[in-house]
Order: sequence, then C-alpha cells, then structure tokens
Amino acid sequence: MRILVDMMRAIQGEGDEGAGPTKILYAANLSHDRLTQYLEELVEKELVIEREQSSEGRAYHLTEKGRAFLEEFVRIERFSEAFGIEV
Amino acid sequence: MQTDMNLVRIDLFLETIGAIIAFAISHYANSAFKTTGQKRLSDLSTGFLVLSVSMFGRVIGTLYFFVLSVSGETASALTMRGAVIIAVEMLRIMSYILFAISTRRGVKEYENTSQLAILLAIPGLVSPTLEMVAIIVLLVVVLQSIMNYLSNRSRYALYVLLGFFFLLLSHIFLIFALDPTRGYLLSQIFQFLGLIALLFMLIKAGR
Repeated sequence: MRILVDMMRAIQGEGDEGAGPTKILYAANLSHDRLTQYLEELVEKELVIEREQSSEGRAYHLTEKGRAFLEEFVRIERFSEAFGIEV
Repeated sequence: MQTDMNLVRIDLFLETIGAIIAFAISHYANSAFKTTGQKRLSDLSTGFLVLSVSMFGRVIGTLYFFVLSVSGETASALTMRGAVIIAVEMLRIMSYILFAISTRRGVKEYENTSQLAILLAIPGLVSPTLEMVAIIVLLVVVLQSIMNYLSNRSRYALYVLLGFFFLLLSHIFLIFALDPTRGYLLSQIFQFLGLIALLFMLIKAGR
C-alpha cells in the first residue's frame, strides 16, 4: 500500500503534465518489473490513467478517484500516527 | 442520598455518549485497517469496540439492576450487579490490553499471536482488584502515548495522550477517592473527557 501511495504522490507532484515511468520509478525506488506491475494495478483500480504524450512517450495522471483516495490516505496517516502506528 | 443517586445517574448519560464515541473510533480504525492492511489498526479497532461494548453493557446492566430492585427481587439484583461489574471490568481491561498492543512503538507486526492470547487471559486470572490491573495496563498505554508524542510532536498524538491520560485518571479516582460517590462521579467525568479528547482527534485528523 505504501508503495502505491508513494507512486501516486510522485504522479500528483508532477501536476497537470503527469509523471513518466522514470520519474515514478525513482520516486518510489522500484525496479522496472515491479514498477510495471504496480502501475498496472493502479490503472486497473482506476486510481491513475495512462496517456500518450507525443513528445515524451507515456505519462500517468491521477484520476478523481485517485485524488480522493490520496486525501483519505492522508487522514488515515494522521489518525494512525496519533496512536503511534505506521501505515 | 437522593441527590447522590441523581448525580450518579448522570453517569449513565456520560457512559452512553462515551460508548458511542468509542464505537465511532472503532469504526474509523476498522476502515483504516481495510484500506491499509495494517494489523495494528485492526487491534486498535477491536480495542475500541470492546470498550464500547463494556460501556453499553454497564448502562444496560445498571438499568436492569434498577428494574430488578424495584420489582423486589433484591437477591437477583445483587447477583446481577456483581456479574455485570466483573464482566464490564474484564472487557475494559481487555480493551486496554489491545490499546497497549496496538500502540507499541517500533513494532510493525507482532511476532506471534500467543503473546496476545496470554495477555487477554490476564483478567480471568486476577483477583477482585480488577481496577488495579486496569490502572497498570493504562499506565503502559499512557507511557507509550507519551513516547509517541515526544517523537512526532503532532497535536493528534497530543489528543490521544490526553485521552488515555484522562482514562487513567478515571480509574485512579475510582479507586483512591476518599468519598466514593464523588470519586465515582469524577471517574465518570474523566472517562468522558478522555473519550471527548479522542473524538476531537478523530474529527481534526479527518479534516
């Protein structure tokens, strides 16, 4: 879960332009195989969408569902950390 | 005497509100567990659920005790009261043990479940002074909350620390008060304040 959230935060950090696979890979500190696997999972769950950028190849963007999920995750983090629980 | 009785009946109101708050926290912790898969959130949720059940149990038990007393079944009422007190206190101690387990610092998952089973068995093994057991377990929870607050200094952690500290005070007043009626009332008020602090945290963290 933490890895997926890190990837989504990396995508969110790139704003409207979206994030390419390399940026996500470095942000979440993943191998290429695992990156592909997790990106597929995020797309499958409709948390991110993949778009072709003519200049830079593929880019990933957060969906509305993805943004809502990240907001909820921040609340969960605050709640958990208040009790000393790492998520 | 009548005034004392009226004052003490405030406890049913405070206890009911407290039980609802504990249930709300349990519900949120459970949904957080479903999202993250973090087992300690599940323990926390179970802890608050057990606490909520114990508080509702106390309210229902007290009301039933009055019904039996009014209908003249004094012996049954006294037996019932004794059973309810033990059951409620045991549930409460179980919930505190679950808090102690879930708020342990520096542990992501506990190594084996037998430790939990042994801890949960403690209330059944101890003598009538269940309140003292509750105080000792809550002391551990409060110490863990202090360490957590000192490490992250967040206001959410402060609310949790205050919540558990007030719960600890509620048990201390119950056991050490010179005037039992006042001690009981203070205990109820501090318990209520503790749950209000936790509710505050839930609301603030949810924003």
